[in-house]
Amino acid sequence: MIEQVRNHVKSLMDEGKINAFLGLRDQEGNIFPHVFQTLEDLNNGLSLGDLSAPGDSRYPIAKVLLTLLQNYPDKSFGVLLRGCDDRALNELLRWNQVQDVRRIIRVGIACPSELAGLHECRKPFPDEFVAGEKAEPVTNASVVEIMARDLNERLAYWSREFDRCIKCYGCRDVCPVCFCNVCTLEEDALIRTGDIPPENPMFHLTRAVHMAGRCIDCNLCTEACPAEIPLRTLYKKVAEIVRDEFDYISGQAGDGKSPLNILGPAPGHTSAND
Amino acid sequence: MQKLLEFSGIDPERLNLKWVSSAEGPRFAQVVTDFVEKIRKLGPSPLRRAPEERQAG
Repeated sequence: MIEQVRNHVKSLMDEGKINAFLGLRDQEGNIFPHVFQTLEDLNNGLSLGDLSAPGDSRYPIAKVLLTLLQNYPDKSFGVLLRGCDDRALNELLRWNQVQDVRRIIRVGIACPSELAGLHECRKPFPDEFVAGEKAEPVTNASVVEIMARDLNERLAYWSREFDRCIKCYGCRDVCPVCFCNVCTLEEDALIRTGDIPPENPMFHLTRAVHMAGRCIDCNLCTEACPAEIPLRTLYKKVAEIVRDEFDYISGQAGDGKSPLNILGPAPGHTSAND
Repeated sequence: MQKLLEFSGIDPERLNLKWVSSAEGPRFAQVVTDFVEKIRKLGPSPLRRAPEERQAG
């Protein structure tokens, strides 16, 4: 599988379609994002997250790509994308985070079913991929489980979860679709700073609202959280609301804007009050 | 927003979003008065009670 990816990237470089390739590199067992600049470089440590298959070393690679595009405005990049990364890039495009989409060439890989199962991934493959087999999507039932409880139980549940927060901002920092330069979560006037746990539920519900029409359900936040707060469940609920209200599913390829990126009444309404 | 509150265990009736123009003074007053009355009836927020209960537990 990795050879298919390597050969594909080599031909992209050979044909001059990309200046460099953003992928993963294995250096003595540590896997991290790396910009491969030469054919020689590609023979040196290219990884798909583990040695032979797309394993469980995941990064918000679409966000890393944004930084590259900004820092090297005249270069084109190939980028290694799993299903989740592909959705993240789609969403970033809809939020106008990329000026010239022609500077990106997607090199997709499909994740194995073990990984899809581990992350309960709704689409463990990009729209187009050069290596791997399509694994079956896996559903995550956590929202239904919460909805089965009554209001007081839900409050008790979330209070317990949120109280463990050490406000490391890991959920935000790892999020592939968190791209704002100024973050509400750090605005003292909106959410009191200096408290641990942070002012709750304000802190986490604010982040949840900002995930509306954005979260692509990659599970990186929950994975990164040192306090094991089930953030994904919260954002999945938000995504469900956006789907029901606006008929919008984040992460899909296309040109339309995310509904929360549109000023004005919702589709089918003439004002905000009707 | 109300659906998110409901999911988090907070009575969605405690949130009211209304669009009121700056030219609609009486309407603004009415909207606020109505909501204040409603909140009074609902009583103190469970979030205010929650920290003590958490400490006790």
